Amino acid sequence: MMEQLISVNDLTIAYPMADGEIFRALKRISIDIHRGQVVGVVGESGAGKSTIGKAALGLLDENAVIETGDVSLGGNSISGLSESEFTPIRGKRIGYIYQNPMTALNPVLTIGEQLLETIETHTDKKGKSARAYAIELLEHAEVTEAEDRLSKYPHQLSGGLCQRMVFAIAICARPDLIIADEPTTALDVTVQKAVLDTLKKLAKQDNIAIILITHDMGVVAEICDYVYVLRYGGMVEHGPTKQILTQPKKDYSRELMAAIPRIDKKLARFAVPGGMSKTGNRQRALDFLLDREERSAIAKGEPLLSVRNLSKTFVTPANVVSAAKEFKAVDNISFDVISGETMGIVGESGSGKSTVGRMILGLHTPDEGYQLTYHGKDLPVAKSRAERLELSKSLQCIFQDPYSSLNPRMTAGENITHAIKAHGIIGRTAAHELAGNLMELVGLQRGNVRKMPHALSGGERQRIGIARALSFRPDFLFCDEPTSALDVTVQAELLNLMKDLQEALGLTMLFVSHDLAVVRQMCDRVMVMKSGQVVEIGDCDKVLVNPDNPYTQGLLKVMPRFSFDEAR
Amino acid sequence: MLSFVLRRLGQSSVLVLIMSILVFVGMYVVSDPVAVLASDDFTEEDRIALASELGVDRPLIVQYFSFLSNVVRGDFGTSFVYNEPVLPLIVERLPATLEVAFLAIAIGLCIGVPLGIYSGLNRKKKTTKTISLLTTVGYSIPNFWQALLLILVFAVWLKVLPASGRGDTTTLFGIELSFFNLDGLRHMLLPAINLAIYKICMQTRLARSGTQEVMFQDYMTFARAKGIPRPRLIRRHLMRNILIPIVTITGLELGGLIAFSTVTETVFNWPGIGKLLLDSIHNADRPVVVAYLILIVMMFVVINFVVDVLYALLDPRIRYT
Amino acid sequence: METAVEQTMTSRPDKPEPTKWKRAKKVFKGHPMAIAGLIGVTLFILTAIFAPLIAPQNPYDLAKLDILDGLLPPGSRLYDGTYSVMGTDALGRDILSGVMYGLRISLFVAFTAVLVGSSIGVLLGLLAALRGGWVETIIMRAVDLKISFPGILLALMLLAIFGTGVDKVIYALIIGAWASKARLVRAVALSEMKKEYIDAARLAGLSDFRIMTRFLLPNSISPVLVVLPMSISGAIGAEATLSFLGVGVPITEPSLGLLIANGNDYLLSGKWWISIFPGLVLVAMVLCINVVSDRLRDHSNPYLRAKD
Repeated sequence: MMEQLISVNDLTIAYPMADGEIFRALKRISIDIHRGQVVGVVGESGAGKSTIGKAALGLLDENAVIETGDVSLGGNSISGLSESEFTPIRGKRIGYIYQNPMTALNPVLTIGEQLLETIETHTDKKGKSARAYAIELLEHAEVTEAEDRLSKYPHQLSGGLCQRMVFAIAICARPDLIIADEPTTALDVTVQKAVLDTLKKLAKQDNIAIILITHDMGVVAEICDYVYVLRYGGMVEHGPTKQILTQPKKDYSRELMAAIPRIDKKLARFAVPGGMSKTGNRQRALDFLLDREERSAIAKGEPLLSVRNLSKTFVTPANVVSAAKEFKAVDNISFDVISGETMGIVGESGSGKSTVGRMILGLHTPDEGYQLTYHGKDLPVAKSRAERLELSKSLQCIFQDPYSSLNPRMTAGENITHAIKAHGIIGRTAAHELAGNLMELVGLQRGNVRKMPHALSGGERQRIGIARALSFRPDFLFCDEPTSALDVTVQAELLNLMKDLQEALGLTMLFVSHDLAVVRQMCDRVMVMKSGQVVEIGDCDKVLVNPDNPYTQGLLKVMPRFSFDEAR
Repeated sequence: MLSFVLRRLGQSSVLVLIMSILVFVGMYVVSDPVAVLASDDFTEEDRIALASELGVDRPLIVQYFSFLSNVVRGDFGTSFVYNEPVLPLIVERLPATLEVAFLAIAIGLCIGVPLGIYSGLNRKKKTTKTISLLTTVGYSIPNFWQALLLILVFAVWLKVLPASGRGDTTTLFGIELSFFNLDGLRHMLLPAINLAIYKICMQTRLARSGTQEVMFQDYMTFARAKGIPRPRLIRRHLMRNILIPIVTITGLELGGLIAFSTVTETVFNWPGIGKLLLDSIHNADRPVVVAYLILIVMMFVVINFVVDVLYALLDPRIRYT
Repeated sequence: METAVEQTMTSRPDKPEPTKWKRAKKVFKGHPMAIAGLIGVTLFILTAIFAPLIAPQNPYDLAKLDILDGLLPPGSRLYDGTYSVMGTDALGRDILSGVMYGLRISLFVAFTAVLVGSSIGVLLGLLAALRGGWVETIIMRAVDLKISFPGILLALMLLAIFGTGVDKVIYALIIGAWASKARLVRAVALSEMKKEYIDAARLAGLSDFRIMTRFLLPNSISPVLVVLPMSISGAIGAEATLSFLGVGVPITEPSLGLLIANGNDYLLSGKWWISIFPGLVLVAMVLCINVVSDRLRDHSNPYLRAKD
């Protein structure tokens, strides 16, 4: 029997809301952690998983109320301690790893100062010996040129390096427990793997217990021994990682597992509830959408869009201390999108994948010397209004961030039909009718037409965004990471919807994503990008299964995964 | 860095040039110095003679360029009223104004910043609410009326401080200063308090909103999660961050302070450049007004530049990019 | 426990969208000072509007004045048998009536100047953000030019150049008000321009005018609305200052600032009421506006709102 280190007993945490109601972030949650164990707490947004970490560290917001239960550390209850009583526990007995390493470090203090102050607070090492220890810690966390890094400021280091600094801070006093709150969410997949490995190594070497709070089942499968699944602040189920991942008992856990896009096999649809029926109003919406003018005689299988020698250079203007800087976001790329297919662009942040799409849409002007052919015509089209409108009607976009892609001051319905009304494509009453029909088509209640965007969830807003793009009756959709801001179950529902729509409307799609598995599920062909250049291009079945290029091979290798076949 | 300095210098020269034209043309329209200076018994010939003596009978553009070439040589013309070169006239009054302005800034920073940090950290306390109310009251009393109240209370009713004038001065490096002299200090106190009340309120609010904002940042939560004791948390993590806006805004507000010194100096009869400006406006003493404004614009250009550089030095995110 | 989870799993209850009035009420709920300020502002505005009906005397009607009533302290009985609550000035004018009429001028000048100036500023700011290029350069350089120069000095200069008068003061204050709004709106609009709904609007082929009026304006205007009360109180103070310095409104239309200036000469001889009462009213009014303004600003501050 391992020593029980920290236990959360029957914990309920409530926040009084402005409208007099009470929001319970956690409802009667119990969790036990032993030394040397890595415990995963998983859930989608609103599950209350971060609240657990904050409760253990006494970092809850001032107005939080502990209604029932407590947190005890080594047998002593630590709930309800004052700020000054908590200070010696924090860092010394419980280390904390923050979600976003770039915002967790104070931007105006050097890395060295932030690490050294923690060491000097919690250990008896001072001055020179503290510094030596700091360098030792950084080398331990696999930071190269450790000595030199100490004099740097956070913004001078990459996200992965910052996260290692945060690790070093968290373990410097050799705490009994580390709480890691989404430690890899802000990082690219190549960095994520290395960071997780470091975390695991540190835990095993020093026999430190770890609570890993995450939404990513891949990460859980990678390093956790035991998993708790939370939803809306309540406990759904818990058990050893393997059991939860392979034989989930509750419906929600099953749905959660089914919603995870898999890399190894392309599925027709995700096995999640909801789907598109074609009855009544939905059919009316579909009829409207299919009643579009034929734009050119490009047969299925011919290139609808062809891109040649596309480049984009961004210039950062000079400021007080530095001269103007040029940055080549996209570097001479060429590809075709075949009519009727879904073409994927995949790459890590900064690979230039979204910039490509924005240039095709005309939102960025490419560098000279390119050629863009769409429906047999050169882009950008002449500046006449009629021709621009013609292009708008054919080429539309689903944006990345559902929280900023809708006009916050227009109702949902107005967001969908404002533009086609402005162009006189449709009259007032017909527009209202159409907005309702389109909302039903994308799986929303008709009554949502009058709601303002802020009253809708992220998934609902993204559906509005899709309806808006569809209202033009386009035949080409550019999808810019359409699900990266959404929870995995919502993502699965949306991806199903997009597949349904593509089938029903015969859309051609260009689909940008950082997630190889999502691309695998959605796309026929894929283009892999790195630092503005094309690494590899070809069928998904080939590129994402048995790639030729070492970079793509590396990407596939580091992406966290667990074996799904066991799951069934 | 060098290209930045050069570009700023170019922009600033254009700014000064435009201001000089605006001011010069404006003052040309404002009033006729001949009408002001001429006594009632002047004949038409006397007037014409006076006009040509003052040089105001030439076309506007000629006047402007001769003015501009003089300015470049450091000659801002001669005051119509004092009959003295303008530049020394302004420069000799400058220390009196700056002295009060700096004292006001010092008072503002020493009282405002601690109050602001205190209220930012203790949002719910009664004292915070009182401080907040007081700053609102301080903001709401117009400068000149504050001055009247100060005179009424300290000079008329309590009779502890003098209501006007500069009092005795001490000469230091050839500059007359009131600061090192008890009588001078007594005279300085009311004008300085008058200017400082607004500064205190501003610094309090600035420090308060800065503190509130910084305390909500992830890095503050993380610093708490590291177990950093509260005194150090405030001294290093908080102060270092809110210092940046405080320094920059204090610098930029120096201009506003000098502008408001026109009001304060008029009420307290303090012999600084603000009072000189107002007297000159009333007397249509064109060269003084033009020179004052051009010098003020130049001063702002310098202050803005220094603040920009200071900002870059204080904020490593700008220093190293 | 199981049922509790199941219950919360169902979709969120559909709450009716709060009306504008309800949202406005929420801003002030639980903040007695702000409510008092709001009531105060309303009273001052009503007094200003109805001054001719409620003032004990028409201070402009010289026939009604009696020199024998001059310089009487507050509460004195006047020659015609009525009482003067705030005393009289050297001409025998009732201070209370003078204050009520002065309030009219002060408020009229400030409101007109700030509303016109802010509208111009908002328009220019939006234009700068939307068009970029030389349009933005010209507008923003003009803003820099204006802002590099303290407002009170600028107004002083303009009034010295163009002479005094109610209209001239309004022009001077308009010139003082537009630049900061233009800068504010441009900054907000620029950050809005980075959001994807603007991209969507551009992609939809909407005209610049439509993007400006239906997309940018409604999403960029709130910060300006929040600072508007502060601008108005600032303009009231600035007008009073200018009038006090003798370059503001003419003696025939005395605002509060001019009333204070008139009493200034008597202050040292102990006749404090001539200057102090108009000043108190001025401060009270500015204070009321600022209290309301503070509340609006705190409410719009996301760092504070999160915990409210």
